[in-house]
Amino acid sequence: MTLLDGLWAASALTALVAAAFGRHPAAGSWLTVLYGLQFLVVAMMGGLSEGADPVPASVSFVVLGYGLAWQFSALSWFFAVITAGAALAAAWFVSGAWGRAYAARGGDLRLLQLALALNPLAMYVLLASTDFLSLFVGWELVSWSSFLLMLSGGGVGVRWALRYLVYAIGGAMAVMAAMAQAHALTGSFGFGALAAAVPELSAASLWMLVILLAAGFGVKMGLLPFHLWQAGAYAETPGPGAAFLGAISSRMGLYAMLLTLFGGLGLGTLQALHIPFTPLEAHELLAWIAAFTMVLPTFTALRQNDARWLLAWHGIGQGGYMLLGVAMGDALASAGGMMHVFNHATYQAALFMAVTAVVYRTGTADLNRLGGLVTRMPLTFLVLLIGIIGLAGLPPMNGFVSKWLIYRALIDEGQPLLFVAAVIGTLGTIVSVYKLLHNIFLGRLRVEHESVREVPWSMLTPMLALAAVVFVTGLAPGPVLDWVAAVQRELGFAVLVPTLGGVDRPDGGLDMLWVVGIMLAGFGVGALIFLAGGRARTVHQLDNYAGGHFLSAEVRYHYSDNFYAGLMHRIGSWYRGSFQWLQDALVSATDFLAQGAAGVYRAVQPVTWLLGVTVLALWWAW
Amino acid sequence: MTADAVTLAVALPLLAGFLSPALGRSSRTAAQWLGWAALAASAAVLWSVWVRLDGGTAAVAVGGFRPPLGIAFYLDGMALLFALAVPVVTLLFWPRAGTPQQFALTLVLAAAATGLALSGDIFNLYVFYELTAVASFGLVAAHEARRAQAAALRYLLLSAAGSVLLLAGIAVVYLRTGTLNLAHLATLAPERLQDPVGLAAFALMLLGLGVKAELFPVNGWVPEVYSSVSGRLAGLLAGLVSKLAVLVVVRALVLVFPRPEAAELMLVLGTLGIVVGELAAWRARDLRRQFAFSSIGQLGIVFVAFSVPGPAGIVAGLAVALHHLLTKPALFLLAERWGGAIEGLRGAGRGQWLASTLFILFALSLVGVPPLPGFWAKLLTVMSLMEQGTGPARAGAVVVMAATVVEAAYLFRTLGVLLARESGAESPQPHRGPDLATASLAGLILVGSVFALRPLGDGLKALAAQAVDVDGYVRTVLGGPGMAVSHPASQAPGGAGGGARVAHVPPEIAS
Amino acid sequence: MPELILELVLMPLVAFVAGLGMLLMMRKIAAKIQRRVGPPFLQPLYDVVKFFGKQTQISHGLIHDVGIIVAVGGYIAAETLIPVPGMDGIAGRTDVIVLIYFLMVPSLGMALAAGQCANPNASIGISRALTAMLAYDIPFVIVIFGMSWIYGTTNLVQMVEYQQVHGWGLFQAPLLAFAGLFALQGMLGKQPFEIYVAPAEIATGPMVEMGGKYLGSLVVMQSFSLYTAGILYTTLFLGGGVTWIDFLLKAYLVVAIPMAIAFQFPRYRAEQMLGVLWKWPVLAGLLGLALVMLT
Repeated sequence: MTLLDGLWAASALTALVAAAFGRHPAAGSWLTVLYGLQFLVVAMMGGLSEGADPVPASVSFVVLGYGLAWQFSALSWFFAVITAGAALAAAWFVSGAWGRAYAARGGDLRLLQLALALNPLAMYVLLASTDFLSLFVGWELVSWSSFLLMLSGGGVGVRWALRYLVYAIGGAMAVMAAMAQAHALTGSFGFGALAAAVPELSAASLWMLVILLAAGFGVKMGLLPFHLWQAGAYAETPGPGAAFLGAISSRMGLYAMLLTLFGGLGLGTLQALHIPFTPLEAHELLAWIAAFTMVLPTFTALRQNDARWLLAWHGIGQGGYMLLGVAMGDALASAGGMMHVFNHATYQAALFMAVTAVVYRTGTADLNRLGGLVTRMPLTFLVLLIGIIGLAGLPPMNGFVSKWLIYRALIDEGQPLLFVAAVIGTLGTIVSVYKLLHNIFLGRLRVEHESVREVPWSMLTPMLALAAVVFVTGLAPGPVLDWVAAVQRELGFAVLVPTLGGVDRPDGGLDMLWVVGIMLAGFGVGALIFLAGGRARTVHQLDNYAGGHFLSAEVRYHYSDNFYAGLMHRIGSWYRGSFQWLQDALVSATDFLAQGAAGVYRAVQPVTWLLGVTVLALWWAW
Repeated sequence: MTADAVTLAVALPLLAGFLSPALGRSSRTAAQWLGWAALAASAAVLWSVWVRLDGGTAAVAVGGFRPPLGIAFYLDGMALLFALAVPVVTLLFWPRAGTPQQFALTLVLAAAATGLALSGDIFNLYVFYELTAVASFGLVAAHEARRAQAAALRYLLLSAAGSVLLLAGIAVVYLRTGTLNLAHLATLAPERLQDPVGLAAFALMLLGLGVKAELFPVNGWVPEVYSSVSGRLAGLLAGLVSKLAVLVVVRALVLVFPRPEAAELMLVLGTLGIVVGELAAWRARDLRRQFAFSSIGQLGIVFVAFSVPGPAGIVAGLAVALHHLLTKPALFLLAERWGGAIEGLRGAGRGQWLASTLFILFALSLVGVPPLPGFWAKLLTVMSLMEQGTGPARAGAVVVMAATVVEAAYLFRTLGVLLARESGAESPQPHRGPDLATASLAGLILVGSVFALRPLGDGLKALAAQAVDVDGYVRTVLGGPGMAVSHPASQAPGGAGGGARVAHVPPEIAS
Repeated sequence: MPELILELVLMPLVAFVAGLGMLLMMRKIAAKIQRRVGPPFLQPLYDVVKFFGKQTQISHGLIHDVGIIVAVGGYIAAETLIPVPGMDGIAGRTDVIVLIYFLMVPSLGMALAAGQCANPNASIGISRALTAMLAYDIPFVIVIFGMSWIYGTTNLVQMVEYQQVHGWGLFQAPLLAFAGLFALQGMLGKQPFEIYVAPAEIATGPMVEMGGKYLGSLVVMQSFSLYTAGILYTTLFLGGGVTWIDFLLKAYLVVAIPMAIAFQFPRYRAEQMLGVLWKWPVLAGLLGLALVMLT
């Protein structure tokens, strides 16, 4: 029995326990322990990131003459450790008060626990893929288990889950087409055979493979223009589920792309694949798609009035950074793109949990019905603050490191427009997440929230732990970058040799230990200056300037709606260009065609048809 | 028991069918038992022949007339598999609440369907096809609802027209070759049917058989009939009869018309069937109609898969056909209680967990979720089409995959309605025990086959190798290698993989 | 190591003094344009001392205090990243990308502090300030990209060395220098881009609830921000400084330009500000970039 078998067994056991005892009051704790066990098993495979041999599974099948086998490599391990961590955090969050409240409100806790347990299991299967066939099997398992998680909450979530399903099947079919095409071209499902066959393949077949794979996996990543399902589907999933999905689920698309496009076809192939009539190559096309994915969804997030939706839209946007980094392909950029997977998982899970904690206490995630909660839920505020600093990619959190690597590489590569797009995405994120923080925690506390308390420790612990990871891996990104370096080595990217604090290079490196140190020193000096003043008296929030009026609890004195009125005045009309029209047009076209198809059976006499077709067929035979 | 006993498999149900109304006059129960006994006996005969043949092939000259003159049955894996499916499925979908007349018609249907699977010459095929048509028409018309009557009329008209076309096609073939024995035709076809006239004959036969095989566009009866008759009958027609018609088409394609144009015609019509069927199902607001349209789409996939020349196409086609044979009838059984407007079923699945679980299972398999068999069937289809690499084949693959998206959308939309938290105006009655039991059996087989994928795959490959072995067919039926002259057909795609398995014929049958 | 810590102490001190001088210069320029005499030499210092010495110090909560500290501290940290004559140890260890991000930190600190005040005027002011950041940072990063490309490094110390060998950035990329100056105007929040303060409309916006040491800290912050902007531009375009004299001279000159422009203008509305900053400096920046990268 290998460690991979152990991981699968632990994960399957978790799912079984969830299915059998999901409603039991103590089940949450047992399950948390089991997720801890999974994490431990993954950690025991840590040698993979130091160049150890791949860990195979003992199970293998032969179906219809095709072998199915699985193994964990450095790439698998990197994604698996994130998955295990996110699952552990989410399960911990559910385990106590939150789960009880969910069940008490009529939620199906067992279904949620089961769905939550099946997701990592499916991912561990996917992450162990060795060829197209095992990849597709794992891919479908992941798609369907996240579908289950999305609809586990019922209500609006079901509608979004169904929309996700249509997109997911569409993506899966693109992957299937690519896989069948690869098999037709090489006679095998193996990535190695594909890589070996690349020199003989025509540009057209290569393009077909690239487009099918990028589109198929891009659906899961929420790449433009296949992103419309993601925000709703993630946001309407029950809180901890959303945290898990938002953290890692759509990154499976990146994993599969790394495996097939970058590992299989090879970065060199993409860089040599020229787009006719343009100065671009295939990898730059991917980079540009990534750039649009960074910018447009981020600015859609800016317009959201629901905290969960806002975060989910940002999740789509951040996916763009990962693909941008990987598509640029040099040592810095690909390290940044892959490290961003880890970073994003940590802060996004923390953010979703913080928002869920707010919903748990106040019953709403509507950004226009909250405010001033910092005095009531200070630790949740702290988590959200750390999370948004990470999301916005500001020092000293880990999000900054990955973005720095990408920016630095874009300067190296001389890609000014992509650089500007990346910065625009970051600026949009800063603007948007401040709104999130402000509308929930700052400004005026509402009367009905006077008695709100901090959430219990069963929820706070995973949140704070994640926040700590966000900070620590920002302070010392070296270990994570080491893992990434192992992945780079496996996939044939140029390898970034990290230091504990980041990257050492003469023409502008990064040492986060110094950056954080300088920053804290600056804050220290600032604090000295500030504290030089006299002692301050804290006043009630109603003791405020109101242009001569007296404030009372009845007066609404809080600014939240249409927070960036001036900005929207300028860019509001640009939102019409979003891709909603594409989806609407596709649905209408299908509906129109379907009407015609149904009409075939309603309007025309069947015998007339038969005769008509016979005549046609005879004419054709001649 | 020698292979000649196989005639019993056709004769017994036919005989029981003739006796049944008379017996039913005194005792309905006795008529029912008679029918069951006949079907069981038929199944037993077929099973013992299969075991005896042990992967070989055999020809049976009914009444002792040697081919190419007499009536011939041809027994190979594919024929026996479908022949065996007939009594088994008929038993499972027996019209339990019916009259003795319905028993009789069902038995005749079973006998005719078995004959269709086994027949080795075209005229027999035509006779059995007509018998199937009459029997199924009678069964449809036996439903008293006005809608069923109207549907039956429509069905009758189309069936009749289809039969005329089939007959016309057969007539052309006979005029050109002077024989109706398939093996004989296989030897003559390369000289006499490789022209527009031969192609026209194939087109006529394809359209004629297509009426039963739900081939677009001659399947106008399908939605009306399936939505107005009982779930059991719909399951029987959609699951079984359509497959046998397809089987005949495949035989004709492989043996008599191994031409790319013929396969292309099938591919195009199949593709259109997928598009129209799945899209119409997407719009359907009635559960049975949805399944009916979905059935059209699935049969389209079957045609598309079979249009790929060589064993790969046969394997894919068989996989899709068998999978559909397993799932769609079971779904029709579930629609027995869940029939009618889909919106009216809001919340109907809650509380009926077994039925809901089965529905989910079948839906997942139809959409093609690994590791369920539906996935492997779809994968084989897509791969064989891509492997072929021609423009139409690739277009077919794209359509198959696009249809999957549509299929997932409507099946799971329906599931969403069934499992909705809020319940509709009136909740339908719970499912009947036998219906649920039959559906559960199908579900169990479906899940069980996941664990037997390897032997199943090997079995299908062997079957397919046998089916495309034109030389073997000719040798088995006409006897002696002398007749199996090397002719172009064996080099044509249909015979390409034929040599993989040499027909092994037990001596006592061959003599 | 000890010299780095010495830098960490000395650089803010220098910056503080030089920044107060810039504040004084700003007010003198305003006075000259408005034909007034203007404040006495030590007025900025008096202001700071007065604010910090006030007896009434009103806090709206912990985040109010923390936000102010972050705002001041952010600029202090930022200016230590820019090499000055004789002190480039810290600057050599980081790069200009880190600096861009450090320059965003004070805005966010102020946003935290203002948000905690529970006054919609402050919130509106912050929303406008962040909108302004979105406006001026886009031309600004184009400039940063262009200069990093020209100098072949993102390390500010190396940028200065390059200019001392090859000539000032101003002459190598005049269009980028123009765009940078334009962005600087926005970054300093001076007219016509001071909609976020708008005293008559939203009662000085973010500052509405600030008094005493809070306002005093903001004055300190402003002096740091003027100094940082001045020396950053000097470093990017004017070859940095060999001695403190020419270095500070250049920095004062750089800061004087926006001041002189500022007091001639009324203010733009937020959307007008976006329009202006996304049009002219961005166009100039992209054009300059194209010239630089294609030749």
